[in-house]
Amino acid sequence: MSFLFGGGRPQLSSAEKIAAAETEVEMISDMFNRLSQSCTKKCIPPEYREPDLNKGESVCLDRCVSKFFEVNMKVSEKMQGEAAQKGGAGGGMGGFGM
Amino acid sequence: MDGLNASEQREFQGRMEKKQMKEFMTMYSNLVQRCFDDCVNDFTTKSLHSKEEGCVMKCVDKYLKGSERLGQRFQEQNAAMMQSGQLPGR
Repeated sequence: MSFLFGGGRPQLSSAEKIAAAETEVEMISDMFNRLSQSCTKKCIPPEYREPDLNKGESVCLDRCVSKFFEVNMKVSEKMQGEAAQKGGAGGGMGGFGM
Repeated sequence: MDGLNASEQREFQGRMEKKQMKEFMTMYSNLVQRCFDDCVNDFTTKSLHSKEEGCVMKCVDKYLKGSERLGQRFQEQNAAMMQSGQLPGR
């Protein structure tokens, strides 16, 4: 997932390397938070009849994660496509699809 | 996270720990708000009814279990994606 470290790049300083690693983690972490928020809202109704997840809720959560990733992929593919069409502006984006 | 030497790793670790703390606090606040919003709607009394309290307890349990499950699925998907490079849309 280290799309920032492609071949032929100049040596980065310590601070830059740490910042890059941190940014990467933040992106993943942000994605997880958004996914959690959306899937919890969509799959867990606010009634709370029992403290455990029932089968329906569990399955819903699993599928929700899967679809979220797929949407993430498709959006990034599409955006890369558009950038490429507009003339190589996306050249440096590399494997943006996380 | 390749290319970090030992001292860079330590610095990175330190930042990750701080970040985790902050995220935990955020999760906690969100949880309180969510369970309050969903469970407490009757303001004829100053303290919680046993029903509201029960609801809040179940809410916390459910939310934490849900979070755990999401975390597991997320890791699986993430790992699969990193391995294959691209997820070929099952």
